[in-house]
Amino acid sequence: MRKSLSLAVLAVLAGVLLMALAACGSDSNDKSSSNGSSSGNGSEFNAALPASDQKKGGTLTVPSVESFQHLDPGQAYFQLDYMVDYAVHRSLYYYKPDNSETAVPDLADGDPQVSKDGKTVTVKLKKGIKYGTNKNVPGVTGSEVKAADVKYSFERTSKPSVPNGYVSVYFPFEGGPSKGIETPDDHTLVFHLAKPFGATMAKALVMPITMPIPERYAKKFDADTPNRYDTHPDEQAFTGPYMIQSYSAGKSLTLVRNPNWDGATDTRPAYVDKIVWKMGADPTVRDRQVLDGQNMVNGDTLAGPTVKRAATGAKDQISFSPLGNRYVSLNTQKKPFSDVNVRKAVAAVLDRRAMQLARGGALVGDVATHFLPPGLPGFEEAGGMEGPGFDFLKNQSGDLKVAQDYMKKAGYSSGKYNGPQIVMYGDNASPAKDTTLVVQRGLEQLGFKVKFNQVEHSAFYDTCQTVAKVKDKIDVCANPGWLPDFFDPYAMLNAVFNGEAIVPQNNVNMSLFDDKKINAEMDRAAELTGAERAKAWGEIDKQLTEQVASIPWFWDKQANLQAKNVHGVIAKWNAAWDLSWTSIK
Amino acid sequence: MSTPELLADLEQAEPVPTGGTDAIAARSPLELFWRRMRSDHVAMAALVFIVGLILVAIFAPLVVKLVGAPPPNKQSTAALDPLFGSPTGPSSEHIFGVDQLGRDIFSRVVYGARVSLEVAIISTGLAVIFGTIAGMLAGYYRGWVDTVISRVLDILLAFPILLLGIGLASACSLGNGCLGGAIQPGLRVVILVIAIASFPYIARIVRGQVLSIREKEFIEAAKSLGASDTRIIFRQVLPNLVAPIIVYTTLVLPQNILFEAALSFLGVGVQPPQASWGQMIADAVGVFDTAWWFMFFPGIALVLTVLAFNLVGDGLQDALDPKTGRG
Repeated sequence: MRKSLSLAVLAVLAGVLLMALAACGSDSNDKSSSNGSSSGNGSEFNAALPASDQKKGGTLTVPSVESFQHLDPGQAYFQLDYMVDYAVHRSLYYYKPDNSETAVPDLADGDPQVSKDGKTVTVKLKKGIKYGTNKNVPGVTGSEVKAADVKYSFERTSKPSVPNGYVSVYFPFEGGPSKGIETPDDHTLVFHLAKPFGATMAKALVMPITMPIPERYAKKFDADTPNRYDTHPDEQAFTGPYMIQSYSAGKSLTLVRNPNWDGATDTRPAYVDKIVWKMGADPTVRDRQVLDGQNMVNGDTLAGPTVKRAATGAKDQISFSPLGNRYVSLNTQKKPFSDVNVRKAVAAVLDRRAMQLARGGALVGDVATHFLPPGLPGFEEAGGMEGPGFDFLKNQSGDLKVAQDYMKKAGYSSGKYNGPQIVMYGDNASPAKDTTLVVQRGLEQLGFKVKFNQVEHSAFYDTCQTVAKVKDKIDVCANPGWLPDFFDPYAMLNAVFNGEAIVPQNNVNMSLFDDKKINAEMDRAAELTGAERAKAWGEIDKQLTEQVASIPWFWDKQANLQAKNVHGVIAKWNAAWDLSWTSIK
Repeated sequence: MSTPELLADLEQAEPVPTGGTDAIAARSPLELFWRRMRSDHVAMAALVFIVGLILVAIFAPLVVKLVGAPPPNKQSTAALDPLFGSPTGPSSEHIFGVDQLGRDIFSRVVYGARVSLEVAIISTGLAVIFGTIAGMLAGYYRGWVDTVISRVLDILLAFPILLLGIGLASACSLGNGCLGGAIQPGLRVVILVIAIASFPYIARIVRGQVLSIREKEFIEAAKSLGASDTRIIFRQVLPNLVAPIIVYTTLVLPQNILFEAALSFLGVGVQPPQASWGQMIADAVGVFDTAWWFMFFPGIALVLTVLAFNLVGDGLQDALDPKTGRG
């Protein structure tokens, strides 16, 4: 889900998530090689990693085009919201910026304990973590974070004033949050789950829903919709190194140090003294300011030309971080794409190299050969950059002959489609629009007559995520993408392709893919841990690719830009700046 | 300056070439018009440009082939920057450069002329037909007919027509169009919107002319002879409207070309992947500072076309109505 929001932004901003085939920079002129290793950030570009010589002090300015959506940790579900929430609150676990594979305890004291049957998860809390507030609130300011506060963070999502889309997915408590969460003492949380889901749920404890909110303080906020805890985030109770000092929706946000934060209990260095976030910038102007200015980093997606300018002229100021994937959804429950051979034919004809170039080239992402993006557990197991090796995804630039063979297998003896017109939905703004035109051309090469409805990005998601609108009516949703909610293959694949997760509204399984065997394997793989887990999900990824649950074509990388005197640090899990780790030189 | 004097000037400027046998002969209005028009070299140059443009639009596939450019919708990844995917500029292979998908700008400009001319000519034609009918009815019958028609025109003139275009286009761009499929997304919506936007101007001009014509003696004569309204309108009034209608048409046409470009720029109008100048300019905005050719060539085509129509319009106006001519 996080994807639909983040992506909304990403795509609306046309500007492009740039991705970086950084390591491939040298050889990516060669079509065949953008498959090469791309993991490398150790390339010529800014590595954006923490260093031991970073200094304290100074004010950091963050200009952004987009505004925040929700700064209430219970509702936050967007890249920009996360950037701020993880600087002003502490979740049970969190990812250090340079390691998104292993979460470290934050509020928690030690790793989560998952019971053998996978139905109980126990978390201990650190002692002595205190709330800070802007104005003194008796009984809250300076009081200690208790287990009940984390429990309340979950409980309040059942109120209409705290809409949250993922709690029920990743936290299937036995009897709901109020019954399913036990607090035997002030520093212990016991989560009881309705199914053996502990392995996955323990990984989801990094999400902002685990940031503590004291019931005694927030209850009066949560009684009303819209929730003042969200619309006036400067009134929240903060546990992170910073506090929101002031907030003006759509304009600016100021963070200052939280006097009640104790660095000894935290792994965040919190270098800068103050952070000023300015919204509503023009992307091109903003990029120039950051490129030539002082004390600045970008808040959101860069404009396309900036990437080219910085990547050729200011390599030490731009960094590229992988984040998610993009695919083309074919309706698997409607003719003609209910036939897997027709889907394979479309996959084979698709010019994914042209789509990559339309999005900004190899720096902003790799041509995908399966669904799990580089770095995520299961990626290597599913075939790595080379992919599982199916013939219909072999040639990045498309292979008409292979496509026609599959069309023949599907019963179209001429190798071309001759049925009625098909309906496709896609974005009306670049760069997503440009990639959909490549899709359209591929379909037309196979003889499809395409009725192409180009709509606003939000309308694209509204339409393609409503089952009733898709089921018998839409054949192709041309430009969906997905970001994992946390660093785990479950968060990448389950919601998008598990047939049992199909819901009437906000349905992210746009291809309506529902394969009983794969559904069961996903449920089983959710219970595994460690290497077994990666292997199982890699296997599932292969099968999804073979069944063409959708056509994977891109692994995004987001470009981020820093001013010359800034030592920026990218939170890899969010592909954006980590405000608690970035410093001024 | 009176008419005879102007004619004398023209005779001097451009003497009748041969023999002179009919130098003193009576000339039909058409003949007179053509003589005046021919003497306006700027307008004639513009006219030649327009005729050329129309031919290019009609024979677009042939033109593209002759120049050796690829077809307008051919996406060529080889023509894009291999690292950044950014468009490349004019080269021997792509004389105007390529766009963000590696499509040839020259081909797209040539094919784009089809859209611009088609929309402008059809919508102007519709506007002229409706405008003339409405204007004649209002001017000839006066009374409540005039009141109703004039107020409707006032309302249309007060309408934010660009917003109407965007609204109609988004309402009609999903599913099977609107009004039971009568209005389909794409060019038809654009043509309709532009026709609605421009016909009130023509109707007003026509109405004004008819108001003065209907008081002339020959109309009274026709009436006293018992001619029907229909006969008077079509046989007596209409022929006297031809000159102002032609002049006004040539002035509305370039406006409508710009209007089409504006609507395309806003994403209303042609369906992908068809090329139109406005849409090309819109696509080019994001990469303007790194790919000037992407915006320059469709932009220059638009400017030249509108300029040519305006110049021809001016020339026609002078030629048809010498009283407004330049000294």
